[in-house]
Amino acid sequence: MNSIPVLTIEDVATLDGVLADFLKKAEADLTVVIDRGGNVISQFGDMNAMDVTIIAALAAGSFAATQELARRIGELEFNALYHQGNGSHIFMNSVDEDTIMITVFGRRTTVGLVRFYSAATAKIVSGLLNALQRNELSFEAADASTRQIFADQ
Amino acid sequence: MSIINYASREIQFKIVYYGPALCGKTTNLAYIHQRISPTNRGDLVSLATAADRTLFFDFLPLNAVVIKGFVTKFQLYTVPGQVIYNATRQLVLRSVDGLVFVADSQWEKMEENVESFKNLADNLARQNVAIDDLPCVLQYNKRDLPNVAPLNYMEYVLNNRKKRLQSFEASSSTGENVFATLNAVSQILLHKFSKQNDVPQTIAPTAPVPGNPTLAQSETTPA
Repeated sequence: MNSIPVLTIEDVATLDGVLADFLKKAEADLTVVIDRGGNVISQFGDMNAMDVTIIAALAAGSFAATQELARRIGELEFNALYHQGNGSHIFMNSVDEDTIMITVFGRRTTVGLVRFYSAATAKIVSGLLNALQRNELSFEAADASTRQIFADQ
Repeated sequence: MSIINYASREIQFKIVYYGPALCGKTTNLAYIHQRISPTNRGDLVSLATAADRTLFFDFLPLNAVVIKGFVTKFQLYTVPGQVIYNATRQLVLRSVDGLVFVADSQWEKMEENVESFKNLADNLARQNVAIDDLPCVLQYNKRDLPNVAPLNYMEYVLNNRKKRLQSFEASSSTGENVFATLNAVSQILLHKFSKQNDVPQTIAPTAPVPGNPTLAQSETTPA
């Protein structure tokens, strides 16, 4: 059975504290920590009107898709990506080889400020995630059925 | 699943629909999106070309069962089937938890099915994963068309292995066995983490014998 990193309630509280501090300093709206497969690890900020799951999937794809572009100019990957909109923007930076941090921000701040604080935050997040305990996940088999939900409605 | 979150009490699983071009992967997701209760699904995101060919991937998030206080979330992805997009397929396969291989049952597509299955194995090998290590089911799609290969031939071509995979005859355009396929891979995936951990990922009784036309289709519930 696979051994999987576990985020305890205490770990999440610590992570939330780090992300809250980052949002406050960078004056950004939302930050999401994801793995490179597109799974959400942690999120903090204003999640109204945004489906974080979809943002995570697309951001992971976007980050991965530029890797080849980076290689063409002699880089392993781009450490950060910035998508500029008219009012809302997305900044993504690499946390470690498995993790990415996404920040959504608006007119209250600048990409420079977000980039500056996200670099320091990424280091702290990386340290926290690397220190997580690993555990095995096990369900009661009798509980595990999807048939009532995955069906014609 | 990369992490277990005891604060949100959510577990995320990534299921990838893999297969050759135009075999019906996106149609599977579109049917699921259309028919599943809106309370249990998010938006279907399709990154497609103007001609509706999948360029990057399709993505559909689903909420599923509550197990011991955990909400399981299934994230369904498709890969682009066209041969040239192999780099994209490798990206989408990253951190995959379960697989549905969608095969096109038409005679003229058999070579593409085999190529795609081989390509899947190669791409998984790049991640040091073997197909036998992952929850995986086969879907023989487009069974409603007139020029399809017999089931035992499909099994012989795509499922002739020591550890046979559960397989379904399906028609994603009409929805036949679309949910059965999804439920099967979900069940195998959930049972991979079950305390008993004794659920076979292959359903031996339905395994075909080449030349035997009476092949039963299975949707066996793992014990």
